[in-house]
Amino acid sequence: MSAAIEARELTRRFGAFTAVDRVSFEVERGEIFGYLGANGAGKSTTIRMLIGLVAPSAGAATVAGHDVATAREAVKASIGYMSQKFSLYLDLPVIENLAFFGAAYGLEGKALRRRAAELLERVGLAGSEDQTTGDLPGGLRQRLALASALMHAPPVVFLDEPTAGVDPVARRAFWDLIRELAAAGTTVFVTTHYLDEAEYCRRIGLMVDGRLVALDTPAGLKRTWVPDRVVVARGSRLGAAERAFRATPGVRAVAPFGAALHVRVDPAALDAAGVAAALARAGAVDVHAEDAAPSLEDVFLAVVGADGRGGA
Amino acid sequence: MTGPAERGAGARLRRSLVRIGAMAAKEAIHVRRDPRTLGLALVMPVAMLFLFGYGVSMDLEHLPVSFADLDRSDASRALARALDAPGELDVVARQGAQEAEALFRGGLAVGAVVVPEGYSKDLAAGRRTPVQLLVDGADALVANQLVAKVQATVRAETVRLAGPDAARLAPPIQVKVWTLYNPEARSAVFMVPGLSAWLLAITAVMLTALAIAGEWERGSMEQLFATPVGRFEIVAGKLLPYLVLGLLTYQLVLAFGMVAFELPVRGSLVLVALLGLVFLAGMLGQGLLVSVLTRNQLVATQAGALSAMLPSILLSGMIFPVENMPRVLQAVAAIVPAKYLVHGLRGVLLKGNGLAEIWPDLLGMALFAAAVLAIATARFRRRIA
Repeated sequence: MSAAIEARELTRRFGAFTAVDRVSFEVERGEIFGYLGANGAGKSTTIRMLIGLVAPSAGAATVAGHDVATAREAVKASIGYMSQKFSLYLDLPVIENLAFFGAAYGLEGKALRRRAAELLERVGLAGSEDQTTGDLPGGLRQRLALASALMHAPPVVFLDEPTAGVDPVARRAFWDLIRELAAAGTTVFVTTHYLDEAEYCRRIGLMVDGRLVALDTPAGLKRTWVPDRVVVARGSRLGAAERAFRATPGVRAVAPFGAALHVRVDPAALDAAGVAAALARAGAVDVHAEDAAPSLEDVFLAVVGADGRGGA
Repeated sequence: MTGPAERGAGARLRRSLVRIGAMAAKEAIHVRRDPRTLGLALVMPVAMLFLFGYGVSMDLEHLPVSFADLDRSDASRALARALDAPGELDVVARQGAQEAEALFRGGLAVGAVVVPEGYSKDLAAGRRTPVQLLVDGADALVANQLVAKVQATVRAETVRLAGPDAARLAPPIQVKVWTLYNPEARSAVFMVPGLSAWLLAITAVMLTALAIAGEWERGSMEQLFATPVGRFEIVAGKLLPYLVLGLLTYQLVLAFGMVAFELPVRGSLVLVALLGLVFLAGMLGQGLLVSVLTRNQLVATQAGALSAMLPSILLSGMIFPVENMPRVLQAVAAIVPAKYLVHGLRGVLLKGNGLAEIWPDLLGMALFAAAVLAIATARFRRRIA
């Protein structure tokens, strides 16, 4: 079987500006694929090409086996889409939003009602059928939007910044839903600004200026882009010791982080104990140091930084 | 229940109708849940009709009248010249009295002056002579103006010909007013068709412009484009509820006109409905075009209101007779659907005209509707992708 989403040299130009530049990737069935990048990096344009809203200037893509350029209608029937600029009808009751999107995808009568009830149950909105959508808190609205996009049980779902402006608890709950969805076999293509959320993705693509510059699992990205050992050191008089400590061989970067120091070192030259010893020699006291995992934020900064300097 | 692999044209049409139905049902809920929309569509028109139902007085110029000269004397020709003098009246034709009514129906003249045989002799003998003035009373403003002007001219001619003594006598020339279509010269009756065009234009254009611009503004238009709902289905589904609402407004305004102002219905109600339907199609298309061009509710409201209100109040013949306008404005008015609705509706309601008389009005509105809907749908398609 072919991949759920497949992009080959996908390109979109707007006049002289290349919004998406020869992007290639494959997303497997049931995978949660995260698409990261700054505003204007080409994330939304990529999604808009994949769902048939924007025609590619060059290259090709298939979604659920259908060519996005030649089989738009088939693509539209097999995807769910939650747009960035959110789009439930706020003046409509909850159930009418579901009913409308269900009917837009061809559901009718009993099948439509059954599916709506099932999804409301699943997203935790059972009992709120007649509430006006605009009265729901943001987190519940996002879940209703997801439910609307799932009415026709699409094999592939595109979520464009689904959790923007939602509180952390609601975001967590939303991601639980996304993971359940993927576990049940739905392919999820999601863009986000929140790097902590990206950890939930099986694989992540990083977009910089229209190009896909990195694509791997979160762990793989960290290994590739942040090869240094990251050590967190705590203790007293760290600030005073910092300058002398920087001169220690194998120390690559030092950054204060609250009361602690984040230190990036050459793993071949230093470990946590070595960092502690070097800090003590530089004048710090009561030093306690331990290894820390690099975050996707470190990866993101490394990727964008490398790109900004014109290559790693 | 749908079969697993329906592929025929029938099945496709059915699915399309389901989607249009979904759009229309959703839109109907929007309308039902927004009291402002219903107020704009139903309450405002009736309130406006009530306020405007009592006519507005104003001066009119260059009213076309026909002149039937049965006396054929120097005196009668002098009267014709006096009436035709630059100012309010234009003598457009000199024909027999029998043709006067035909001229009204044809819209070529708003009145006819009939000078009877013996006019000059009676005048010389100082006898009262019944000069007839036939007036198309369907337009109360024009009728009043016409009567006043003819009366003044005839009196001036009498004084000129019979000498200053004539002024002391009772006017030796009697003006008979024959009101053909609107016996009581009630301007409300005359205004109702014009007002219904105006009100219908505003509500239909504004509501559709707002409803569709709202989808752009909310971002839900993009969501719609990502579903299998086609462009045409979006347009059809969005317009359908407003077509129904517009027809409701139309009926309400006309019914109110009948009850409050004793608006007569001399022609067929089917034709009245047909005129409204074709007119509404054009107005909905205009609203769609405005919203596609502006994509913003605030701008759409203003553009919609202006584009609906100004032509339908100024160029429709509701207040200012189109035939009195400069040629340029007459040409512009020729594409204003309100002009055709006002003309057609007055014809059917007040004169009892049938399809034979109003088909040009229907055609004018149908052409406008087809053109606007075609442009709007084309622009709509190009807006995306």
